[in-house]
Amino acid sequence: MAIAESTAVLTSPEMTRRPRWPALRALARKKLALVALAYLLLFYAVGLAAPLVAPYDPNDQNIRAGETRQGPSSEHWLGTDSLGRDLLSRVIYSARTTVLFTIVVVVTGGFFLGLGLGLLAGYRGGWVDTAIMRVGEILGGLPTLILILAITAAFRTRITDLAYWFEDHTWVSFSEAKTFLKFTIIAGATVPFAWVGSARIVRSQALAIRELAYVTAAEAMGASTWRVIGRHILPGVMPLFIVGLSGSMAGMAGAEVSLSYLGLGIDPPAASFGSLISEAGFIRTFQQYPHLLLGAATPVVLFFYAWNLLGDALVDVLEPRLNLR
Amino acid sequence: MGPGLAGYILRRLLWAIPVLFIISVLVFVMLRMAPGDPAETILGNRFDEEQADVLRRKYGYDQPLTVQYAKYMWNLAHLDLGVSVKYRDFTVTEVILPKLWVSSRLGILALLISFGLGIPVGVYAALARGTFLDPLTISSWLLLDAIPPYVLIPLVQWALVLKLKLFGLGWDGFLSANMILPVLVMGLPGVAGVARLMRASVIGVLNEDYIRTARAKGLREQTIIVSHITRNALLPMVTVIGLSLPGVAAGALFVETLFGIPGIGQLSLEAVQLPDFDVVLALILFGSASFVLANVVIDVAYAFIDPRVRVGGARG
Repeated sequence: MAIAESTAVLTSPEMTRRPRWPALRALARKKLALVALAYLLLFYAVGLAAPLVAPYDPNDQNIRAGETRQGPSSEHWLGTDSLGRDLLSRVIYSARTTVLFTIVVVVTGGFFLGLGLGLLAGYRGGWVDTAIMRVGEILGGLPTLILILAITAAFRTRITDLAYWFEDHTWVSFSEAKTFLKFTIIAGATVPFAWVGSARIVRSQALAIRELAYVTAAEAMGASTWRVIGRHILPGVMPLFIVGLSGSMAGMAGAEVSLSYLGLGIDPPAASFGSLISEAGFIRTFQQYPHLLLGAATPVVLFFYAWNLLGDALVDVLEPRLNLR
Repeated sequence: MGPGLAGYILRRLLWAIPVLFIISVLVFVMLRMAPGDPAETILGNRFDEEQADVLRRKYGYDQPLTVQYAKYMWNLAHLDLGVSVKYRDFTVTEVILPKLWVSSRLGILALLISFGLGIPVGVYAALARGTFLDPLTISSWLLLDAIPPYVLIPLVQWALVLKLKLFGLGWDGFLSANMILPVLVMGLPGVAGVARLMRASVIGVLNEDYIRTARAKGLREQTIIVSHITRNALLPMVTVIGLSLPGVAAGALFVETLFGIPGIGQLSLEAVQLPDFDVVLALILFGSASFVLANVVIDVAYAFIDPRVRVGGARG
């Protein structure tokens, strides 16, 4: 009786089944990484829902005496800026800029170019592989920062003309069109350099998996290229791809903030952490109104930090598979 | 160093030529095709079509792109990088070289801090693996790394210069006490990255048989850590060190701008905003060339350390 019971326990599906998401379970044991993940989820939720969450209109100015550069209060949690705009609302809309920017860059540069080209190069091999990797080598060899600066600075001079065109030919307003164009320029200047790293990781993984027996078996049974890539190679490539992506997220988001700080990205009235920081970062301004810099910089610094922590934890979780050169 | 290694170095250097050629064409076309032209920049508010045409003819901007490119390359081969728009009386070489001298010293000092601290911190964290000290060490350095320079600099300037009066500010030549703060602000955030890689590398070495052998021989723990673990774990750092070298020449845009240091980073921003075409072009080409060269140096260093690399020929 007792023996029968114990075998029943052993063969019950819960016991013999492999844990479904071993990586997620290992990650769950890392408390700091969980806090980082929770913060990132909050940041993305607030960013996406900015119009619903922000207490005030981020462009509502109030330049009456005493209304500008207020310290934190129950009415304005982070105080107001030099034009009397509610800083918390501007921070929330800046989060929206950051969130949209990272989504655009991750989808185009990360998934479409990085994952797509990496898989193609690794699985097809031959001249496709050579071509993709040589282009990557050339792009990777360029001094990114000054090139991005040069591209954005050069194209910004044409923004006004194009924005008038948008106003005349579409339903978009002039200032919306301007912000949209600035966004497009900085994304367009960042993406060409954002895919090389992940494409390399994906390629080398795909190369290794391609040689495994189950892939050969699938090919022998007549599976199509897309089926082999989608069903057999992609799942093996994903973990390292995600590690690489999360490790580079802070850098990608940082590109927008830095460009906006220099006045080459998203600038007022549209909100960006970069322009908030540059306005508050003058040493004299900071001396008198420290809340302007601290209130604007803390959320975005924590955002970078959270991505760094998450990336670091993911490397650790998947470490046995990592091959350090 | 046998004939095999010499041939290997030669192969790598020869491959660098087409790469640099393609980069130069791409960058040249992009900069010349971009809106605005140098004549507009030089004349600025005093723009008038006749004078612009004179300037365009003088500098050859009226000729087809292929001719312009060929001329640029011809001059480049004679070490003539053109003339700066902003500093009209100086050639690009004369503008860049003094700033490069400032930036490279700043960058090397910062790298020394990043690696000098990052390597021991990484070894410490790896040896503390399993305790709370490992994640605590790495995550504290990561926080410093997450603060962008344009946030960090006002904070430290306020705290250390205005309040505590520990440092002075302003450009007073490279060898002055005022440079301590910029070097620290540039070097310390880099510790996190180095420490992370070093930690992973040490953990990889810890499981090797020769470490167990060393312990079994009864060597002192300190000897094992220094001459068995750290020495072997340093090998992958060759790549990291090599790849950070081209960044040194690129200068530090924010640190230089916010501390008023006349280096390449400050020049890049200024040149891009004008735009000072020949300076931008020279900076990008120089940056690319130093990156390609650094990669060759890394490969050669590996071929030198590890003879197996030579047999396989050029790495992708």
